[in-house]
Amino acid sequence: MPNHIKFSFSSCCRNLFLALAFLFLSISSAFAGLNVATTTEDIASLVKEVGGDHVSVTSIAKGYQDAHYVEAKPSYMLKINRADLLIYIGMELEIGYLPLLIEGGRNPNIRLGQPGLLDLSSSIAPIEVPVGEVDRSMGDVHPYGNPHYPLDPANGPLMAGLIAGRLSLLDPDHAPEYKTNLENFRKRVDAKLKEWSARMERFKGTRIVTYHLLWSYFMKRFGLEYAGVVENKAGIPPSPKHLLELADTMKRQKIKLILTNNYTDPSFSNLLAEKTGATVLVLPGYVDGVPEVRDYIGLFDYLIDKIERALSH
Amino acid sequence: MKFAGYILSIVSFLALPVFALAEDGNGAKRLEELEKRIKILEEKGAAPKAEPAPSPAVPALPSSATGISRVFNPAFSVNGLFLGTYRSEKNKDQTADVKTGLNVQELELQATAYIDTYLRGDIVLSLPTAESIEIEEAIVDFVPMRNLSARAGKFLAAFGKHNQLHTHQFPFIDAPLVSSELFGESLNEKGVGLNWVAPSPWYSEVNFQLLEGENAAALNSRFNDDFGYLLHNKNLWDLNEDTTAELGGSYLYGKNNAETHNATHAVGGNLTVKWKPVRRAIYNTLIWQTEYLAAFKENGIDPVSDVKLYDDRGGVYTSLQYQFARRWWIQGRYDYFGLHAANDANDKQRWSGLLAFVPSEFSAVRLQYNHLDYANSGTLGLKNEHQVLLQLNFTMGSHPAHKY
Repeated sequence: MPNHIKFSFSSCCRNLFLALAFLFLSISSAFAGLNVATTTEDIASLVKEVGGDHVSVTSIAKGYQDAHYVEAKPSYMLKINRADLLIYIGMELEIGYLPLLIEGGRNPNIRLGQPGLLDLSSSIAPIEVPVGEVDRSMGDVHPYGNPHYPLDPANGPLMAGLIAGRLSLLDPDHAPEYKTNLENFRKRVDAKLKEWSARMERFKGTRIVTYHLLWSYFMKRFGLEYAGVVENKAGIPPSPKHLLELADTMKRQKIKLILTNNYTDPSFSNLLAEKTGATVLVLPGYVDGVPEVRDYIGLFDYLIDKIERALSH
Repeated sequence: MKFAGYILSIVSFLALPVFALAEDGNGAKRLEELEKRIKILEEKGAAPKAEPAPSPAVPALPSSATGISRVFNPAFSVNGLFLGTYRSEKNKDQTADVKTGLNVQELELQATAYIDTYLRGDIVLSLPTAESIEIEEAIVDFVPMRNLSARAGKFLAAFGKHNQLHTHQFPFIDAPLVSSELFGESLNEKGVGLNWVAPSPWYSEVNFQLLEGENAAALNSRFNDDFGYLLHNKNLWDLNEDTTAELGGSYLYGKNNAETHNATHAVGGNLTVKWKPVRRAIYNTLIWQTEYLAAFKENGIDPVSDVKLYDDRGGVYTSLQYQFARRWWIQGRYDYFGLHAANDANDKQRWSGLLAFVPSEFSAVRLQYNHLDYANSGTLGLKNEHQVLLQLNFTMGSHPAHKY
C-alpha cells in the first residue's frame, strides 16, 4: 500500500475514533441525576417541583400543543431510550403515539410493570367516566374518563405525591429532599387554592360554554357549570344543527363566556360568540402554553385571572 | 458506561461477604450502625409514600370460573379498503393490475400482544381482494438490551421507506411503480433481523436482516440455501420543532433464479421532509417524499457470445402531500421507472393527483387520478392510459398508534 494512502487511512480511523468517543462521552456524561421524560409540560413542571436539581426533565408535547395529537417522532423515542423514568397522564390521552414511542424507545426499564414507567392517572379520582356501553359512534370517547385531570389544582399535589414516591424509589439517596419538596409544594398549592377559591366564589353556579371537555375538572373545582359544549362529540367538529341549538340555549340562558384552548381553531367559537354576544376566551390548557405560564401554580394564577376578569364584565 | 457500572456492582456484590469476613470484628459494629440509621430514617419517614390510589374507574375484567378470561386477549383491529376503479383502456387485458370495476382491495386483520415478559407478537393476516387469506406479517420482537431489538418471523423487509408500509398506510391508493416493478407487490420475506439505535445525537437506526430470499422478482434463488442479506440505515433530524428530515439508505444482496448462483444487488435511498406546525398540529401538514430504488441482477450468459448478461432496472418517485384543513388532504406524485436499462419496453412514467377527505382517525375517502405514460407506447400493445380510483379506507377495533 502506498505511504500516503496508509497515512490518510490511519488518520481517518483516528479521527473517526475520536469523534465516536466524543459522541459517547457527550451523551453519557450529560447529566448525573435522574433523566425524566414526560408527555406533557404540566407533569414536567411537577417533576421540577419535587425533583429540584436532582432531575433533568424533558416534555414530549409542548404546552401549546394538543396532547391528544402528537406525532410519534423517532426523536421522542431517543428521549425515552435515554430516560430513567417516563411519566404520562394515561386514561388514553396519549394512545395515538405513546405505544409507538415506548416500543421504539426500546428501553427495558420503561415498560409496563417496571419502575421506569409511571401512569399518573392512578393518583386521582376520574370524572366523566362513561356509564354503560361506549363505541366509536360517540366520537373520540375516553372509556376511562376525562383525562384532563391536571386542570384541577387539587390534583397537582396528588400527582406530585406519586412522582415523589417514584423518584425516591429510583433515587433513594435524595428521598428526604423529594419529601421536603413535596411538602413545600403541597403547602403552596393549599394556600393558593384558598386564594383562588375565594376569588372564584362569587361565580359559583355560573353556566358557561367550552369548545372541548378540556375544562371539566377546573370547572368542577370552582363551581362553574356547563351550558353546553361546542364540540358535541369529542374530537369531531360540530354540526351546523348543533351550533344553532347551542346558540339558542346560550341566548335563552344568557351565557356570557365561551372557553376554548389555544391549539384549536377558534372559528366555531367565534361564530357562536357573534350570534349570541358572548365573549370567547382563548386559554392555554397546559404549562408553557403561553410564555407567561412557567409552572403549575402559574398556570392557575393565569387561568383564574383571565376567567375572573371575563366573568366580571 | 452503564455496562461497566453493572460489572462493577456485580463484582462489589460478590466481594461483599469476603470483606465482611475479613473485617469480622468491625462488621458487627457496622451492622449495628446501619440498623440504627435505618430506624432513624423510618421514624422520620424519609421516603414519601405514594398517595393511596382511588379505586380504578374500570376494574380489570375478572377471571371467570371457567378460566375463559378476556383480560389477556391480543388487541385486535381490522382494516378495510373498498376500491372503485375506472381505466381508460377498459378491461381488454384481464391480467392488468388496474381494471374498471368495484373491488375489495384488501381486508387486514391485526392482532398484537405481549407474549410474555420477553416477547411481543404482531400477526397481520391479509385477505387481498377478499378472496384468499395470507400471512402478511407474523413477527416476534425481543429487546435484549437498550438500543437493540431482534425480530423473527415473516415481515415487510426494511428496504427503503415505502416497502415497510401496509396497504392501508400507503400515502397513495397504489404503490409507486418502482416498488411494484422491482419486488412484485413488496419485499415481504421470512427471516430474522437485528435493529440497533446508534448513540448519536440524532436518531439513527441500523437494520440487519437475514432473509429467506423468496421474492419472485428480485431473489428466488434456484437453491434454497441462498439467503438475502439486507442492510438499512435510517436517520432523522429535527430541523426545528415543526420540521423533520429523514434520510435512509438500503442495500440487499441475494441470488436470483436466472441461472445458478446469479447475484442480485438492490439499492435504495429515500429522503422525506415533514412539516407539521405543533401549534396547529391537527390542521396542517406538508410532506415531501422522494425515493430511489434499483436492482442490478446477473442474468445468465449469452449462449452465442459467452458474455455475462445483466438485468438492471431502477426508478424513482417524488410526492407532495399537503393537509390544508383538519379533514382534507391534497397530494401529487410523479413516478418514473426506466433507469439503468436503455429503452426497455416497460419504461414508463406516471402522474398522480389525490384528494382525501378524512372525517376521523378511523376512516378516509380518497379520490386519485393517474396518467400512465409508456415510453414505448404502441409497441407490445402498450397504450397510455388514464385511471381514476376511489377508495374507502377504514379501521375498526383497538386504537391505532400513528407511525411517523
